[in-house]
Amino acid sequence: MNQRRILIVTLMALVSCRDAPKSKALTIAVVPKGTTHEFWKAIHAGAVQAEQELNALGGDSVHVIWKGPLREDDREQQVQVVEGFTSQHVSGIVLAPLDSKALVRPVEEARAAGVPVLIMDSALESDAMVSYVATDNQKGGELAADRLGQLLNGKGNVLMLRLQEGSASTTAREDGFLKRLKDNYPGIRIVSSDQYAGVTRETAKKASENLLNRFGADLNGVFTPNETSTIGMLLALQDMGKAGKVRFVGFDASQIMVDAMRAHQLDGIAVQNPMRMGYLGVRTLVASLRRQPIERRIDTGVTMVTPEMLDLPATKDIIAPPIGKYLPGG
Amino acid sequence: MLRTWIARLGPALGLVIVVLVFALLTDAPGRYLSTFNLRIVLSQTVIVALGAIGMTMIIISGGIDLSVGATIALTGVMTALGIRSGWPPSLALVAAVLAGGFVGVLNGMVITTLRVVPFIVTLGMLGIARGVAKWLAHEQTVNVPTTWMNDLLVTFPRQGWLVLPIGVWTTLALAVFVAFVLRRTVFGRRIFALGSNEAAARACGIDTNRLKVAVYACAGCLFGLTGAMQMSRLRQGDPTVANGAELDIIAAVVIGGGSLNGGEGSILGSMIGALVMAFLRNGCQQMGWPNYIQEIIIGVIIVAAVALDRARASWATSHA
Repeated sequence: MNQRRILIVTLMALVSCRDAPKSKALTIAVVPKGTTHEFWKAIHAGAVQAEQELNALGGDSVHVIWKGPLREDDREQQVQVVEGFTSQHVSGIVLAPLDSKALVRPVEEARAAGVPVLIMDSALESDAMVSYVATDNQKGGELAADRLGQLLNGKGNVLMLRLQEGSASTTAREDGFLKRLKDNYPGIRIVSSDQYAGVTRETAKKASENLLNRFGADLNGVFTPNETSTIGMLLALQDMGKAGKVRFVGFDASQIMVDAMRAHQLDGIAVQNPMRMGYLGVRTLVASLRRQPIERRIDTGVTMVTPEMLDLPATKDIIAPPIGKYLPGG
Repeated sequence: MLRTWIARLGPALGLVIVVLVFALLTDAPGRYLSTFNLRIVLSQTVIVALGAIGMTMIIISGGIDLSVGATIALTGVMTALGIRSGWPPSLALVAAVLAGGFVGVLNGMVITTLRVVPFIVTLGMLGIARGVAKWLAHEQTVNVPTTWMNDLLVTFPRQGWLVLPIGVWTTLALAVFVAFVLRRTVFGRRIFALGSNEAAARACGIDTNRLKVAVYACAGCLFGLTGAMQMSRLRQGDPTVANGAELDIIAAVVIGGGSLNGGEGSILGSMIGALVMAFLRNGCQQMGWPNYIQEIIIGVIIVAAVALDRARASWATSHA
């Protein structure tokens, strides 16, 4: 006993331990694609908001564990995280799958082991999940196409930088964007839509620089499908002195993008509601565990925010969700 | 004799300590030590363990291979492409193993004929193999129809009598086989001789250049098999997978007592090294610790394992 205590104290000195969940508590593991994007921080905040509300309502206490893949955006690492939670036998998992196919096996194995999984943000090609809570991504892409089409009066050269193959959510946005442009704005020419930004600002910036170098001379509009690709493109445009001269529509919101909108270097962002996604993910899974009726598909909404809308109170809650209220230091 | 046994027990003791610490810390030790969790950890270890078998051979011979992660991605993509275009899975598997071997032969040839150090050659190969993988896959993941290949690393094999996935049994069998080759055959002893003192080995009549190529080729075949396993786990060929896996694999060998100066290392030690990291990762997750804690702990363990090894070695020589 004494040795055990020494061990615990030694490790406690290294690590700030979380409180162990109480025996009757529901333990919900929330697994994002990564942890460094502001988007995932908002999802985390939403999950914590749900945890706090559920605990305030009474009943069995709910404990949320937040754990991303060890190497960000690495499918194998995310598979291992899901497997770990399965063997830990948490009450349920809320998962944003990095790949629509690679995560099928671990999710099905989790269900077989009695751990229900709710999918959020990005689709999974399986029906083993409790529910699917996500933005209507295709609609997001269509909103972006409409915004860009109107800004350009239906003519000009447009470039789209894709994010990454296999990511269902961004692929849906890209496809929605391309289809709407083709259908409704036949005067617009797509000069490039087959290049990938990769998953970090750094890779996105490099890809953007290369594309702008190639097509920049007579380019009129740009669309990028997520936070990192939008920021990477923005940084490349700024470095090349093209920011503000090219109509630019992005996706998701972070401070640097809001600043760019105020400087009229970015003309619109399709904004999801990640905090609501994290919140509804946990609420829905807990409801299902408590055998309450739930929807199989929940749309968490997407809005086009333009520079003129920035100061409206309704916009503020979406582009700057109150993360700090739920995540200390967030 | 006693010394070699102490050297082998060192990493094993480390593994026992890791498992014990988490078993004591967790509020559900039954769950942590359950066969369910054990199977999951073993399946997760296969990729690093198989790679570490090949890497142990290379490191004993005094070399290093940084291209292993990229080779895994390349051969995984090739397996997936083969199956997708209608090859029998067994043929795709053989192709992956041969492709891995080919990468190894290339590494070995460049190292011996152009006299570039292995670190640089394989660093270059890391980029080449990764690039070719992305090229072959058209920068996409390659999805495959369902075949028995997909079941190699299913945590709970459909055939209950197997108990562990086929991939785990394959890894165990290969570990025993390669350990035997290294300890008991002329080829194996020559690899140790090459790593301990290349000039002396050459003076004894060993064709060191050919031996080096052979070592990289054998290890490459194992990396090819690892790639096929990785494909099986994800059920797709992913050209971006195993990014940084080379560091996990080298760490497993080093924790297991392998010396980057060559001439030292054992398969048993490397397997234990791979398990130490897998149990650490699994344990940290069960404790709900954030990722950075496990990265820090693994970093500390790598340095500590090597420092302890050196201390023990110098103690052993001064008391011999």
